[in-house]
Amino acid sequence: MRSLLTLLVAYILLVLQSTVLELAPVRMAAPSLGLLVVLYVGVSAKWAISSASIVALCTGYLLDLVSGAPQGVHALVFILICIFARALSTRVAVQGIVLSAAVSFVASLLASVLVIIVRARVTPEGGYGGLKDAPLEALLTGVAGPFVLGLLRRIDGKLEATRARVGLGRGARSRNAGRAQSPWR
Amino acid sequence: MILPNGKRLREGAVVGVTLLLSLIALRMSAKDPGELSTLDRGILGVVAPAQAAMSTVARAIANVAGRYAELTHVRAENDRLRSENSRLRAELMETKRVAAESGRYQRLLGLRDTTPAETLAARVISIDASPYFRVARVEIDRGEGLVKRGMPVLTPEGVVGRINRVAGGSSDILLAVDPRSSIDVFIPRTGGRGVLRGKAGENGYHSTIEYLVRGEQAREGDLVVTSGLGGTFPRDLAVGKVSRVTPNPSGLYQEVEVAPDVDFARLSEVLVVVAPPPTPDPDAGSPARRPPPLPGHGPSIYR
Repeated sequence: MRSLLTLLVAYILLVLQSTVLELAPVRMAAPSLGLLVVLYVGVSAKWAISSASIVALCTGYLLDLVSGAPQGVHALVFILICIFARALSTRVAVQGIVLSAAVSFVASLLASVLVIIVRARVTPEGGYGGLKDAPLEALLTGVAGPFVLGLLRRIDGKLEATRARVGLGRGARSRNAGRAQSPWR
Repeated sequence: MILPNGKRLREGAVVGVTLLLSLIALRMSAKDPGELSTLDRGILGVVAPAQAAMSTVARAIANVAGRYAELTHVRAENDRLRSENSRLRAELMETKRVAAESGRYQRLLGLRDTTPAETLAARVISIDASPYFRVARVEIDRGEGLVKRGMPVLTPEGVVGRINRVAGGSSDILLAVDPRSSIDVFIPRTGGRGVLRGKAGENGYHSTIEYLVRGEQAREGDLVVTSGLGGTFPRDLAVGKVSRVTPNPSGLYQEVEVAPDVDFARLSEVLVVVAPPPTPDPDAGSPARRPPPLPGHGPSIYR
């Protein structure tokens, strides 16, 4: 349920990225909104790395289809970013506007480099060009980062609260399970 | 978070499987770049209408915002003359916008009438969703089943690119400025022929002519048109103008940059050539390199 909702958010953000942002004043670059979804599921302790990597795969593949890139380029890069984000989250708690923006910026730069490398492997005629666009895209992603990460955190929190209310939350479920197995009623 | 060994193994296995799936997708797309699976078609079938709707809403909002921005600088005192002036200006802007839009459609219709090929009009619903791939997505009314991979795409200004992927009523255009695109072109002034390829890593829309044999030197401003070789693009379609010639006295080929005639950043409507123009009749005397423009119609793309 949570994964589906997150994928729906990713879908909306990708459609937004591919249409509305073309009218933005900075024409040649747009924030990588799909990447921010992957970054969130990667750094969030609420997400198991397996679910996070599935979300990363689906979001990346969707971006491949939406952007006309060879299928698998963004999917592979997003999974790698997800793993990077998980590794980072064990050392740094990504909280607050400044840190969220900084991590979004770095992740976007890293994703751009990886996309260029994978693209060069798949379509060698493209070469390694395109790095000039990366800083501007990373900057815009850094600006959008705190907002998108905040939105996803809020959605996750709301979902968690709802699940807890109806007794489906992780804590509630384990408590219920414990109660059912306990001989003391 | 410390996980028990079994769970850690399971988590690792799922991550490994996702990595493997992405690598398989990469390998398959490298083998046949334009091929879409049923799943891909299904996903794009869901995405394209949303993109089209969002694009329409965005353009409407941009129009309203533009008019609002034009009006907000009018002072709050509501001076009658000032408000009258702004109202007239807003009307003028709207009229200009409508006139420009109508002009665009007229030029497109003119091109359609003067192009001796069967064409379909298409509306651009997204462009450059990723900055590393120069691809535009178009929505084609009644184009389902007619549009095929490799078909040329034009505007009144010149060549836009070719169809790369088709999914129902929407298609991806590989723009002529994408490094994966290659179009056989020639420079009519010098007769030099080469392959036009998009320039990777440019912070704009540029392309270069590769394998342009040295001979008569190309000059800045030289017209570049399609050669018709390769069979995809008809002959003599405008592509752009030579924007830079890098001297390379020792090389076999000339190094030439081309600025496209098409403004890719402002692409909104295009024509897809679904059937090539008829080949000229060799018995009909002097070969007509291009059809004469019909009276009262727009400019021809054929140069």
